[in-house]
Amino acid sequence: IMADDKDVLRDVWFGRIPTCFTLNQDEVTEREAEAYYLLLPRVSYLTLVTDKVKKHFLKVMRAEDVEEMWFEYEGTPLKWHYPIGVLFDLHASNSVLPWSITVHFKNFPDRDLLHCPSSSVIEAHFMSSIKEADALKHKSQVVNDMQKKDHKQLWMGLQNDKFDQFWAMNRKLMEYPTEEGGFRYIPFRIYQAMTGNDRPFIQKLFRPVSPEGNAYTLGDLLKEMYPAAITNDGEQKRYQVVIHGIEPLLETPLQWLSEHLSHPDNFLHICVVPTPSD
Amino acid sequence: MTESGRNCRKTDVGVLYRTLRGVLCLMSGCALNEKEFFSCCQLLLQQSEHLRDGWSWEAVQGSEEGYLRKTVLRSVLADCYDAQKQTETASDSVSPVSAHPIQELQQQERTQPVVATCFHSDGIIGDDGDEDDAVCVLSEGSSHVLQYEYHILYSCSYSAPVLYFRAFTLEGRSLTLEDVWSSVHPNFRHCLQNSPLTAITQQEHPLLGQPFFMLHPCRTEEFMRPVLQEAQEQPRPVNYVLLWLSVVGPVVGLDVPLKYCTQLHLSSLQRSTSDLMSSTVETGVRRFARKTCK
Repeated sequence: IMADDKDVLRDVWFGRIPTCFTLNQDEVTEREAEAYYLLLPRVSYLTLVTDKVKKHFLKVMRAEDVEEMWFEYEGTPLKWHYPIGVLFDLHASNSVLPWSITVHFKNFPDRDLLHCPSSSVIEAHFMSSIKEADALKHKSQVVNDMQKKDHKQLWMGLQNDKFDQFWAMNRKLMEYPTEEGGFRYIPFRIYQAMTGNDRPFIQKLFRPVSPEGNAYTLGDLLKEMYPAAITNDGEQKRYQVVIHGIEPLLETPLQWLSEHLSHPDNFLHICVVPTPSD
Repeated sequence: MTESGRNCRKTDVGVLYRTLRGVLCLMSGCALNEKEFFSCCQLLLQQSEHLRDGWSWEAVQGSEEGYLRKTVLRSVLADCYDAQKQTETASDSVSPVSAHPIQELQQQERTQPVVATCFHSDGIIGDDGDEDDAVCVLSEGSSHVLQYEYHILYSCSYSAPVLYFRAFTLEGRSLTLEDVWSSVHPNFRHCLQNSPLTAITQQEHPLLGQPFFMLHPCRTEEFMRPVLQEAQEQPRPVNYVLLWLSVVGPVVGLDVPLKYCTQLHLSSLQRSTSDLMSSTVETGVRRFARKTCK
């Protein structure tokens, strides 16, 4: 079972999404820009892995027509600070591959997107998520006991796509006292595609183990946080609950999901999307 | 750090009073739970209404979940604003702006009961149109008047309040982090720049999904602990959110008048809280600066 669990960690880390980047047709170019194809890591961030995309399109543009690069899918600006896999599952999970993203160099939508002037901003955001996750799991004790170089190792592991380097450190963040049965609280966020309200995600306190010592499941979490996602007996299934592009069984223990299907930021990112109607 | 944490729990009184006028919180431990946050906010709100300080409560979907919100208009002295924009200053150079970076319009218009607190103007504030705000008429050149919006939310991850804010020109241009630095007190600018996790960073607002600046909450419990410990040893009822705000607010140009405490109608509480608050602002600010500079 241990070997299978480690495979899950690898499958999560090495998940890729074939993507086609096209320049926004309103951008001013000196000659026609060809589309650029790239396999995007699900667990990384757009602005971290698209240097090649930028270089490709800058070849046909003049410097004065280039401002901060940003991405959009079918009119929706893509939030670079969300893991790539989450953006895909949320916006395009049931559309045809490759994922078609439009690239912009003008009119940055600063009411929708955070600025990303450098990779240190991505690092700060990533480390901030890790710290927040540990505040929930271990009252910050594990992450605060780490040294600066350990934190750096987590970031470098992600940045350079080094699974072993990353997990050598991350495994500490996945430990818990045996008598507790799990983390203090599970770091999770539930995203809803096409919501009527502004709320970008649901994040609340939720324990992995009941006071009686029973393991809570994904279904238990959803019942509490997003009951509409659960299909009742006899009903037609309206929603898919997607993590890393798959639909885990609702009976899966939440603690196991947190240890194995979290993103490198240590959060379980859960997308609830409408079931496609063929 | 762990030591003082243990002490804090030992002097734990752990009682929450509810009065007709509002809520007085005797803190149970140094963390704040969501119910306590809500109660503290309601009390702060009551006092804000008396003082016309402009805070409002924005509820989320009819639940107890929500946040405090306040909008402030600031005129930045013309030359100073331009100077700030032009210079890529090193953190230790003192420009005219650092001495008195912000002129709060509130101070200038004391006679008018409805000050430029909640601002309502086409195209500036988004689509929340249900406020009973007054329109503030400004004669200044609009490019030098800035609109700051402050939100106080609750972080369940850190069991603490968190300060979010954003700023616009009256034409609706968002201020960048560089622009916003000019509203940070010079004493803090240097410290915050060195410590990324207590720095001001751009974050997605967890309830609105829009970019805001945020003062990172991970050190809140640390700098609140000594203040609360002192209060618990008396014991003095304190409003955690108000005390916290009196420490972090000034860092980002948000003033918290001491009058908040003198508004309370219980004389002993009046004295103890206002003492505590004035000493808090002084020592808390020093502690906050020390913690952020590590």
